[in-house]
Amino acid sequence: MSEQTKNEATVTPDLGFVKEVIASGGEDLKKCYQCSTCTVVCSVTPDDKPFPRKEMLYAQWGMKDKLISNPDIWLCHQCSDCTAYCPRGAKPGEVLGAVRQMAIQHYSAPSFLAKMVADPKYLLVLLAVPVIIFLVLLHVQGFLTGEIPRNEMGQISFSKMFYPTYYIDPVFISAALFAVISFVVGVKKYWADMARNYPLPAGSDTTSSLVETLKEIISHQNFKKCGVTKERSTAHMLVFFSFVGLAITTTLAVFHLYILKQPSPYPLYYPLKIIGNISAIGLIIGITLVTNNRLKNAAKAGKGSYYDWLFIVVIYVIAVTGILAQLTRIADIAPVAYFMYFLHLVFIFFLFAYAPFSKMAHMVYRTTAMVFARQAKRQ
Amino acid sequence: MEKKLALYICTGCGIGDSLNVEKISNIAKNAQKVPVVKSHFALCAKEGLEVIKGDIANEGVNTIIVAACSPRVKYEEFSFPGCIVERVPVRELAIQLIEKPEDQQLAAEDYIKMGVIKAQKGDLPEPYIIETVKNILVIGGGIAGMTAALHCAELGYDVFLVEKEPQLGGFVNKLYKQIPTTLPYTEPLIVDTTIQETIKAVEAHPKIKVYKSSKVEKTEGQPGAFDVTISTNGTQEVVKIGTIILAAGWRPYDATKLEHLGYGRFKDVVTSIEFEEIAKKGSGKILRPSDGRPAKRVAFIQCAGSRDPNHLPYCSAMCCASSLKQTKYVRQDPDACAMVFYKDIRTPGRTEYYYKEAQNDPGVMLTKADVTGVSDVGNGNMYVEMENSLLGEKVKVEADLVVLATGVVPATLDDPIINLQYRQGLGLPDLELYNGFADSNFICFQYETRRTGIYAAGCVRQPMNMAEAQEDAAGAALKAIQCAEHVAQGIAVHPRAWDKTYPDPFMQKCTSCKRCTEECPFGAIDEDEKGTPYFKPNRCRRCATCMGACPERIISFKDYHVDMIGTMLKNVSVPSEDDDPRLIVLVCENDAYPALDAAAKAGIKIDKAVRFVQLRCLGSTNLVWIADALSKGIDGMLLMGCKYGENYQCHFAKGSELANYRLGKVQETLSRLQLESERVQMVQLAIDEYEKVPKLILDFVERVKEIGPNPFKGF
Repeated sequence: MSEQTKNEATVTPDLGFVKEVIASGGEDLKKCYQCSTCTVVCSVTPDDKPFPRKEMLYAQWGMKDKLISNPDIWLCHQCSDCTAYCPRGAKPGEVLGAVRQMAIQHYSAPSFLAKMVADPKYLLVLLAVPVIIFLVLLHVQGFLTGEIPRNEMGQISFSKMFYPTYYIDPVFISAALFAVISFVVGVKKYWADMARNYPLPAGSDTTSSLVETLKEIISHQNFKKCGVTKERSTAHMLVFFSFVGLAITTTLAVFHLYILKQPSPYPLYYPLKIIGNISAIGLIIGITLVTNNRLKNAAKAGKGSYYDWLFIVVIYVIAVTGILAQLTRIADIAPVAYFMYFLHLVFIFFLFAYAPFSKMAHMVYRTTAMVFARQAKRQ
Repeated sequence: MEKKLALYICTGCGIGDSLNVEKISNIAKNAQKVPVVKSHFALCAKEGLEVIKGDIANEGVNTIIVAACSPRVKYEEFSFPGCIVERVPVRELAIQLIEKPEDQQLAAEDYIKMGVIKAQKGDLPEPYIIETVKNILVIGGGIAGMTAALHCAELGYDVFLVEKEPQLGGFVNKLYKQIPTTLPYTEPLIVDTTIQETIKAVEAHPKIKVYKSSKVEKTEGQPGAFDVTISTNGTQEVVKIGTIILAAGWRPYDATKLEHLGYGRFKDVVTSIEFEEIAKKGSGKILRPSDGRPAKRVAFIQCAGSRDPNHLPYCSAMCCASSLKQTKYVRQDPDACAMVFYKDIRTPGRTEYYYKEAQNDPGVMLTKADVTGVSDVGNGNMYVEMENSLLGEKVKVEADLVVLATGVVPATLDDPIINLQYRQGLGLPDLELYNGFADSNFICFQYETRRTGIYAAGCVRQPMNMAEAQEDAAGAALKAIQCAEHVAQGIAVHPRAWDKTYPDPFMQKCTSCKRCTEECPFGAIDEDEKGTPYFKPNRCRRCATCMGACPERIISFKDYHVDMIGTMLKNVSVPSEDDDPRLIVLVCENDAYPALDAAAKAGIKIDKAVRFVQLRCLGSTNLVWIADALSKGIDGMLLMGCKYGENYQCHFAKGSELANYRLGKVQETLSRLQLESERVQMVQLAIDEYEKVPKLILDFVERVKEIGPNPFKGF
């Protein structure tokens, strides 16, 4: 009879959770027989408590808590070396991807939205929300009759589409605020769960960990450690920095509109247009590379789930509609231009409002996990 | 018989280039009086053989000495029925192993001289033929026994099958389902057993007589003429048997010794076999013994009392695959989980594919763990407690039914079973070396035991699964048939499966010291009421250990006896110079001599001082040879034989060990001769260690040179 020591944990296997992981993209999960080749091959795994072997075991036993409140699943950058080398074809990279998706669903609030974003059945419903909002706004402004708004100089002016901007800004600001609040709620829960399982050393500093982590992210050094999918470094960098560029563009636009009181359209030589266009082109190239890499490596690294591809498609649509809106505005094809701009706004809303529930959330969760891991000295 | 000797010297394979054949011929003709001496450049070719055959037909030659290559090659060419044939391996021992031509010549002369003496002293065998039967007794009516019985019956032999239970089938009868027998393994991964068809086939076969609820009371006699007493519920019947297949099977390890794992403390902790019975009784539904409710969380603890020095130290090979099969029973209920806790998963051979398929089920969970105990949850369930687990350091998991995968214990651990009325004992000897399994370490021949005519198959000799047991049974059946056929013609079995000689003691000089009786590795010698040993030649393997043991030297074989080897040793040339030693190396024919052949072929050279003499087994070394050789001026003797000890290689089980033991007694002989005991040594050599031969020889030569030359030199 063994004595009950305080380190003796009770493990309760959860068959339902195992089936969920299998259904979310980890379909070959049960082929793993714990040989540890994946862990040996992984180049970003920490030296103590390495992954993904233990995650495969936890997933096989349905140990949801150990999996989800665990920074390790976000330290993984899905380079898929593990999937390529697994001798049984258990695809640990895909399993971890599925677990990350389930972690996002678990922490983001409200949870019904999380379920809807992950399920292809609800795609049209989710798209309908911004479509209906914008149609209502257009109707209120009287634009649904087919009248084409133009500014004083007779140009196509997108800023005239929702004018004054207090029609459109509140929508986006609310969406953004909602996203931010949802993220904060989720991250707080996640951090608390992690700290419960891996206590932080006393006197450790979150700020300096955050600074170091941001440096690591910007340099994309983790991507360079991959074997099978090393071209992802370039692709992701393009997408990442293009997003940054577009964020700067939007800020400059707000500045022009509200501070300089100068509404759009702006001439192409304006700094904000230059930054914007370069970023747009970068984004298209980047997301195309991402798609190509995924298709090329599908045999070795797995084909990815609905969740992954939804994110990629949304980015594509945003980039394409943005560029087309600009081109058709310059070519003065008004109906197409405004339609493109409409789509552009719908998808941007989609991206930001549902960011806490979609793959976009990796931006926040991975950063949080990396900060935590650094602070807990687990890198 | 009236002998006409003929010596044929082959000059092919480089022999003719190195030797002065004329000188050798003269020695043979004049000193040894060999009437016919010829040489040929390709003796094994058609023309060479024609010369020999011509002499047999026209000159009446009937005793042939072939001075050519090793006796292990060209034996089909150099076989002449009705003639004695002695092979002298001058090519290997004189030419290939020795460097300088003058040394090669001297060595060749010695070897041919010894070969002629051997031919002069030997005789053609007259086989021991008594009235024999070719019936086969199969002990055990499980899957191994029944398969062996069917094979023997199909080949036309009468089979007596003895089973201790009231029904045939053994443990397979208790199984609910079995692992499928063909690849690929697909869901549901369990199929019905076919044991009932096998039982029907056995009971219906006209050549198989089945005794149920029966045991072997005693076994007397010898192979070909065993008298076996079978007792059935008290009544006895004696049957005449040729050979015996022991397929008495196993029992599960006693789980009452596994109290720390909960057996006995909880009704819901059961063994693998008990779990099969639960599944069979419930037609697939797994109901807990305590309250009859369906089990939803079943824990399988592997290596329960196995690979553990406190219980069974060995692995039982089939329990991992068996437990994986049982997880499939559990999973017939889609809400139930099966959790397997293992030290390692061992699924050898094709069962690796079974493991792959069985674990590809969300409800089958596996983890490595050292299970330390089973404790009470308090709600009718049990905690399985473990450490060093992949799930975490110290972990406990709740289960409502626990299955202990206990190991295989052979039937021969509890009971000798065959009940031999041999002087050396009722059962197979020295089974404590094998944890009770009817194993023998008999090199490369897994069915062999240390009792001639008795072959072991199935789990009684080694833990194995059903498919392996069926293959085993087929092998043992073939061996049993071979033995029955050989013994009917007076021929020996493995390892001298061509030999028609047998030990023939000159009983008038026997002092009943019983050394032969006790030392025989195969229990071939019993003793009568007066204590006089008597031989049962069909039990004999012809190793001649008895010949070596006998202090009166009364035991001999037609072509192998003490005087023969003694005379050969006394006629080896001894150089007169003090610093030119002469050493004799006695080599056994099973590992040591083949190592010499391999060394010769590899171009290895050895010291010229040695002369090799081949023996059947080092166990046949009679101490008088040492006295004979040393008194003629031989400076030292080395015995080279197979390894003995725990992982013995000796092809007669005990020969080299006995030789080593006897050397301890040679001290007395040597001190009477005023000689140093270090002049006689023994080394163990395996057949693959041929590169060690030069160093072994050289070390011995150096030792002897240090001691100094034999004072009897030149006497």
